[in-house]
Amino acid sequence: MSVEKSRIFLLHTESGAETEGELWDKITDQQLHDWESQWVPALAFGVQRLQKARTHNSKWPPSSTWDWREKIAAVRDATFSHSSFCVMCDGQTQGLIILDSSGRPERRCRIENQRSKDLLYVELVEVAPWNRKEFHQTPRYRGVGGLLIAAAIQKSQEEGFKGRLGLHSLPLANSFYANKCGMHDLGGDSDNDGLRYFEMTPGQASAFLAKGNKS
Amino acid sequence: MAQAKKTMTLNLTDAEMTALEELSIKKDLSKTQVVRQALKLYQLIELRIDKGEKLYFEDDKKSKAEVMML
Repeated sequence: MSVEKSRIFLLHTESGAETEGELWDKITDQQLHDWESQWVPALAFGVQRLQKARTHNSKWPPSSTWDWREKIAAVRDATFSHSSFCVMCDGQTQGLIILDSSGRPERRCRIENQRSKDLLYVELVEVAPWNRKEFHQTPRYRGVGGLLIAAAIQKSQEEGFKGRLGLHSLPLANSFYANKCGMHDLGGDSDNDGLRYFEMTPGQASAFLAKGNKS
Repeated sequence: MAQAKKTMTLNLTDAEMTALEELSIKKDLSKTQVVRQALKLYQLIELRIDKGEKLYFEDDKKSKAEVMML
């Protein structure tokens, strides 16, 4: 399996320094191993700390139960409609994303002026537990989520979708998609556990890329 | 990160070309991209059907019609 790697930079929060990393155009066994050996224990530890601090469970990350090995296996053999990316830095997996470009009817544009056009659907996206502010006041690296969304926009452009993206957001991420990504919030979707559906237009995609990976 | 692509010539009737052009306008995609999307969907459906699943269309009244794949 050949993997294309491109150079990226992440902000190391503690030192304030830009640290060089890589964006890979596939999730490989190496990332799945990192997820199992590093993310899963770190997530368990983080949730334990939230429990001890009596943090309300609405602030817990539901992805503590996601199984990336299972999710990748489900799409790897399926079709070429799925693609994945990961962010690597310090020899560790910092973020993962799976995208669907199949154009299935339930995964087409919903905003009125682009209704039923094809988009790239973000099936799953997650950043490493040590980069998440719900676990750490000072996350290790900033900008991982933004880089993954930028990769998704570029993939959407490659597919001819002009940067159009769609996704269902977990409650803790709503503000990231609405404010940092500038996506349209189309409200709760009863067909998807009431999760809010967000969609990005070509204009919003260009604006996001032009802004760079900044808040 | 674009993958390398191969070129092929596609022979279509007038009616098929008209349908392709209409879809290209409706979907805001190039004709090549319409064909690529059609292939993805066709492959996805075939894989699900090969696994023994069925394909249905559902109308507003929730009545279902099974789609027969050739």
